[in-house]
This record gives sequence, C-alpha cells and structure tokens, in this order.
Amino acid sequence: MERTFQKVEEILKKHEYKKENLIRILLDVQKQYRYLPEDVINYIGVALQLPPAKIYGVGTFYAQFSLKPKGKYTILLCDGTACHMEGSISLLKAIEEELNIKPGEVTKDLVFSVDQVGCLGACALAPAMVINEEVYGNLTPEKVKEIIKKLKEGEKDAQ
Amino acid sequence: MKVFVNDREIELKNGSRNLLEALREAGIEIPNLCYLSETSIYGACRMCLVEIDGKEIVTSCTTKPREGMRIKTNTPQIHELRRGILELLLATHNRDCTTCERNGSCKLQKYAEDFGIRNVRFAQIKKNTKTDRSAPIIRDNSKCILCGDCVRVCEEVQGIGVIDFAYRGFSTQVTPVFETELSKTECVYCGQCVAHCPTAALTFRSDLDRLYQALSSGKTVIGMIAPAVRVAVQEDLSMDSDATMAERLVAFLKMSGFSKVFDVAFAADLVAYEEAHELYERVVNNEKLPLLTSCCPAWVKYVEQFYPKYVENLSTVKSPQQALGTIVKKIYAKKIGINPEDIVLVSFMPCTAKKFEAERQEHLGMVDLVLTTKELSQMIKASGINIKQLTPEPFDKPFGISSQGGLNFGKTGGVFATVVEVIRDEMGIENEEYHDLQPGVKSAVLTLKDGRVLKGLVVFGLANARDIMKKVMEKVLDTNIIEVMACNYGCIGGGGQPYPNDSKVRQTRARILKETASIKAINSPVENYYLQKLYQEEFKDQHTRHMIHTEYKPRKRIESEDIEILPLPKEDKTTVKVCLGTSCYMKGSYRVLSQLVESVKKDSLGDEIEVVGTFCLENCDKSPNVMVNDKLISEATLEKVEEVLKECQITKTESQS
Ligand code: SF4
Ligand code: SF4
Ligand code: SF4
Ligand code: FES
Ligand code: FES
Ligand code: FES
Repeated sequence: MERTFQKVEEILKKHEYKKENLIRILLDVQKQYRYLPEDVINYIGVALQLPPAKIYGVGTFYAQFSLKPKGKYTILLCDGTACHMEGSISLLKAIEEELNIKPGEVTKDLVFSVDQVGCLGACALAPAMVINEEVYGNLTPEKVKEIIKKLKEGEKDAQ
Repeated sequence: MKVFVNDREIELKNGSRNLLEALREAGIEIPNLCYLSETSIYGACRMCLVEIDGKEIVTSCTTKPREGMRIKTNTPQIHELRRGILELLLATHNRDCTTCERNGSCKLQKYAEDFGIRNVRFAQIKKNTKTDRSAPIIRDNSKCILCGDCVRVCEEVQGIGVIDFAYRGFSTQVTPVFETELSKTECVYCGQCVAHCPTAALTFRSDLDRLYQALSSGKTVIGMIAPAVRVAVQEDLSMDSDATMAERLVAFLKMSGFSKVFDVAFAADLVAYEEAHELYERVVNNEKLPLLTSCCPAWVKYVEQFYPKYVENLSTVKSPQQALGTIVKKIYAKKIGINPEDIVLVSFMPCTAKKFEAERQEHLGMVDLVLTTKELSQMIKASGINIKQLTPEPFDKPFGISSQGGLNFGKTGGVFATVVEVIRDEMGIENEEYHDLQPGVKSAVLTLKDGRVLKGLVVFGLANARDIMKKVMEKVLDTNIIEVMACNYGCIGGGGQPYPNDSKVRQTRARILKETASIKAINSPVENYYLQKLYQEEFKDQHTRHMIHTEYKPRKRIESEDIEILPLPKEDKTTVKVCLGTSCYMKGSYRVLSQLVESVKKDSLGDEIEVVGTFCLENCDKSPNVMVNDKLISEATLEKVEEVLKECQITKTESQS
C-alpha cells in the first residue's frame, strides 16, 4: 500500500492542489485504484481543504466513480430475463465457489470483483457475462470456472 | 418600485434580494420549500412559482422584481402545479405524522394541509434509508425532501460542511462522508441544520423520558433555566413578551416535582466575573491572547477541531451550564446535606450542543440531563396546565439572582458586554467605542483607567468566526478577546428552540430578552450579592476557584481507520504512525513520511518497522506529529524519529540479552 500516498501526492501535484480540479483529481485516483478509497478521500479533503462530505458527494454522483474496490478483473454477470432463464444463477454459484466472493464484493488481493447486472444486450448468447469489456456467452458453470482459472494463472505468471 | 400583484398596484421596497422576499415584505408569503434568507439560493423545489407578465411561470426565489412587473401569485395553474409538487414529495415521504418529531411544526405537513391534499395520486415508494441516532442531532432520511437547506446552512453559515448531497437521481441523499455516523464526524452539534430543516429529517434527541424517570426515582430533582429559554418557550404556548415567563416556569417545574429551580443567568454572572479577571490577567501578562470565550460548546468543539493552536486561548472558565452544575454538585449538595449522587440536575437550554457538553468526559457527573426549550414546551403542553394563569414564583436562592448582563448571555454580545461591566466596576473604563464590522461581527475598543487599551470582537455564526480567525492569524485584526456564539444572533437561535427558528424570530427573541433584562435591578455581576457571597465564603483562593475551570485539547475531526503504508504482518515490530491530518499535513508531515519510507526501505533504520498513516493524533498544536509505538514525537523531523527508533532498538536488544 506504500504506493497509495505517493501516487495521490503525484496526482494532486499534477492538478496543482486546486479545488477546481477536484473531478480531474478523482478521475485520476479512480484510474489508479479502480475506486475511490476512503482514506484517499479523507486525504484529498485534507490536501485541498475541502469538507470530505463534498468529495464524497462528487464521488457518488458521477457514474465514472466507484466507492467500493473493484477487481482488476470486473466480472459483470448478467441476470437479465434471458440469462436468468438460461441458468445465470448456477453461473453465480460457480463464481462464488471459485473466488469466494458474493456479488458486490472483491477478492482480498483486489484481482477479481463480481457484480450482477441487468441485460447486457447479448441475449442471443445467454447466459452471458462481461469481464473487462470482453463478452463471454453460452456459458456453463464449468466454462466460467475455466475462464477464471485462466485469468488467475495469467496473474501468477505476471508476478 | 411599483408592481402589479394579482392586478393590484403595490409598492415594493427597492433592493430586495428576490421576488419572494419582496412579496413577503408586502404581506404575501409565497409557498417555498428550499429558500432561506440566510443562505445562497438553491431554486430546486419549484414551490415558489409565480406568473410574470401573463406569460411565463418562474420561481420567485430566483427572480428579481422589476418596475412595472405584473405578477400573479395564485392562478389555478400555479395551484395545480404546487399540488403536484407536494404529491410527488409525499409519494416518497415517510408519512407517519402522528408519531413524528415535527408533528405540528413541519412545513411539508403544513402545505399538505393548506393545499388540502387528501390523497396522493402516485404510488407510495419506500426509500431505503437508515436513521442515525449516534449524536444529539438525529438524521432520518426517510423524511428528507432534499431541499438542501441543511447543506447550505452547515457549509455557508457554519463554515463546516458536515453533510452534503451524495448519489443522484432517485437515490440522492444528504449524508456525511461515507455515511459515517454523525458522532464520528466534525459536526459540532449546533443544530442549525435542525433549525432550518422544514421536516423531521433532522431533529435532536429528546430526553424527556429520562426526566420522567428521574422524577419518579425518589431522588432530588433540581432544575436550572437558561436565559434564552424563557423568551422562546412562549412561542409554543401562544404567549408573547411576557417578562415574568421565567418565574412562571419556576412555578410550573415546582408543580411537576422539582425541588429547587435555579437561574443559569446567575452562573452567567459568575462566568463573566471570573472571565473578566482572566482576561485582565492575560492582558497584563500578554499571554494566550486573544482570549476566546468558551460558553458555546459548538464553538469550543470547532476550535478543538480546526484551530488546535488556539485551544489554549479558550477561556478556561466553564460555561454557565457547567459552572452552575459544578457548584450545585460540589458546594450546594454539601450545604443541604444531600449526597450529590442523589441529586438529578436538569438544565433547560436553547441548545442541542449543550447535550453534548454535559456528556463530555471532563464534565461528567455535573449536569445530569439537558432538555431543550422544545422539550420543555412539550412538557408544559402535556401537563394541561395553563401557564398563563400560574402565579410567578421566584428562582431559588442562592443561585437565583442575576444582573442584566447575566441574562443577556442569551444573545450575541452578552458575554462580552457583561465582562465589560465587570471591568468597568473593578478596573475602570475611560472611553469605549463600538463598531459594526460586517454582518455578524461587532468590534469594541475600550480604554481602561490604567491606560491599557482593550480590544474585543463579538461574532456569531461559525463561518464568520472562521473569517475572523483567519484575519487574526494573518495579523490583519488585532484583538484581545473574541466572543463567539455558533448560532446566528446567539443562543436565542439555538438548535433546540421552537420552530420556526429563522432570523426574523430570532430578532424578536433578542428584543424580548433585552426587555426582560432591563427590568432587573442590578446591572453588573459585581453588584450581585449572592455572587459576592459565593466568592467570600467558597472561592477564597485560586484552589477552590479551580473547580469552575476546565481544559481543552485538540480533537480529531473524523474518526477513520489508520492507513497501511508499509505494513508488517508480524507481532514483534515497531510501529511508526505519521499523522496526515490537516495541521500536520500543512506542517509537512507528508515530507517526513516520504523520507521515512525511503529510509525504512533502505533498511537504514533497522528491520521490523511498520509505517502507518493516521488522521490526527489530537496534538495538532505541536504538529507535525509522529508516533513510535506509544511514544509521541511532536514537531517531528526524520532525525527526531530516527533517534527514537534507535532508542527503541537499544532497549529491545538490552531486554533480549
Ligand atoms: S449540527 Fe451544526 S455542525 Fe452539525 S451538521 Fe448540523 S449545522 Fe452542521
Ligand atoms: S435533511 Fe431537512 S434540510 Fe436537509 S435536505 Fe433533507 S429536508 Fe432539507
Ligand atoms: S450559540 Fe448558544 S445555542 Fe448556539 S450552539 Fe452555542 S451555546 Fe448552543
Ligand atoms: S438478459 Fe442477459 S444479455 Fe440480455
Ligand atoms: S423556494 Fe424557490 S425553488 Fe424552492
Ligand atoms: S492533525 Fe491533529 S495531530 Fe496531526
């Protein structure tokens, strides 16, 4: 976590510690951490001399920001009508088994997060899910586990 | 300027802020749900619609009057629009009016009645909200109509910004950062958001149940009434300008089971007397100046959180509530031979922050229960007693007499003026001048008999106080004493006063208080016989007087968890905590942190060191602060930290060998 404040300081400096640049600062923070961590919000409040509630307001207003940690891989599992009929629940079970997290949560290492969403517009491929903008269709629990395992291995290799 | 309102020519005052205010002045109150004359204009609720020149319909709070304007305030179309707005609000509103804190004083409820809304055409939608009861101020967003009044008051009038809008669309909510409980935020409990909330989304904790328990406990229940209560309580009881109200309240409380009732104004005399000497002493020694008054607990908390360097400037004299609490429990109890534990001391206050004050660690055990004016009026109404017909009874001795000054504590300038009265009597004043500096700020320059010049400022509203503190810190303003009351116009505008609680009512209260004070026989605390007796018999020396003094220390604004910077998941380690709170950050704590991280990584400080960041170690006046295990390093530099780390290593090796 050491990076936290170095990076935040860099971002603040880039935007000249100016209140007017709050949104840009938050966008950079979001990019860096994939969400707006609570301590970072408090820290920015201190650095910009802004009430933290104000920053929280901005952070919750714009859809670009997330207040909860998101994984490096954000799994959006469709629970629209078509996917639901085709057994999206069993896919969710598979994800839960594989990653040990529930919808709205993120893994401890911040690599995966999962959310249930409405129709992804891929009903022809139901049941479907999206991981970082890539669509996966015609899924079965086995296929889902397979995909996640592959990503996990990729992560290990990267380290 | 001439305008036509509903086809009648009328004269409007020039220079009005907007049409809404101008028409109000002319006797037409345009319905409104998000307009406050005390804050900036929001223009969101659309209740204040009027028709202009036969064509457009505009919001009157955002429109300026213009010569010759033709205004219609109440056309069938506008009526229907307003009804629609109300129904939409009601559709998402938690409508449990009979058990609601604002039953009978809610603006939404009033308009629903005025517009005869008997059914709501839209389906009821329940919002997913929680009620926060962690603090004396209670937030219940199921009652919130998102008018933003509280947000603007807290930010613009009080200069804090504890709560703000978050989320959007249907999910929009007013909340502190991360939905933190209010008790863990920088809220000072002034209740000004409560005073201006049109509904019961913001209220304060009622402690009436605890009063009834006390009254049936067999213990001795003693009451005390603050100056501002006696004027405002009348509003809830259809009374007006009754100068004997306090004495009627005494009679009522005695009938309700109180054994004694004292006047907080007596303690105000005591505080002013003590504070005048404190001020003079500080001026003579030229230390801890400007003296900051400490009667207002909201201001005290504000200083603790935002001006740590000035905490020592706060007067150490307790507030009237706590001073009276102390002398009742420590002196009076002995006199009447009752164990202080068998006394329940109940204070009636205009103030929500006083509930917090009585519960502060340093004050525990003195005042047992703080009830607001609002709770008192409820008690009176529930009793069915017509207080107008009660014969006034005097406050009990020995804490029942006060000077005019003591009573004037209830409004802005009262503390300062009473301190001046004492100085006039004891040190002598040659000359005095008073000026208005800006709305909410007055200044005074006194030349004393001994040639000293004493400068004072009187401030209300914490945003004003922030301006003034900035100027004091920049040395633009030079002053020896600053009186600050958090609430506009002083305690008469406290968060526990009856609704409405706006500037207009507050000015009326100030007038009534002044009239009530003016019939008091004595002018200054110096002439207060019982006060002088207290000094002669009890406060013979510094030591005994110490009981009405207290101390303050810096306080963190927000409770948040420490930040892991270089974590070390190990039992046996040295933890270095670097404060990243405002004061320390401003003093370069981030630099110390970066240097520290570098050194730790290079291992030049030895291994087994964990680095964490924290928000405020409550030692802000000596920032930047770093903590090594439990040793606090003030005005820290890398060198100082290294030194302490070395010592730690040595003691560790020693204990191991
Ligand atoms: S009580 Fe005062 S400080 Fe707290 S939120 Fe309300 S206005 Fe702000
Ligand atoms: S809490 Fe009250 S004052 Fe604040 S936005 Fe809601 S209704 Fe308005
Ligand atoms: S000004 Fe008076 S009523 Fe307002 S917070 Fe301070 S002490 Fe309480
Ligand atoms: S319902 Fe899943 S993609 Fe449409
Ligand atoms: S009062 Fe004018 S829009 Fe709300
Ligand atoms: S900010 Fe309070 S001790 Fe650092």
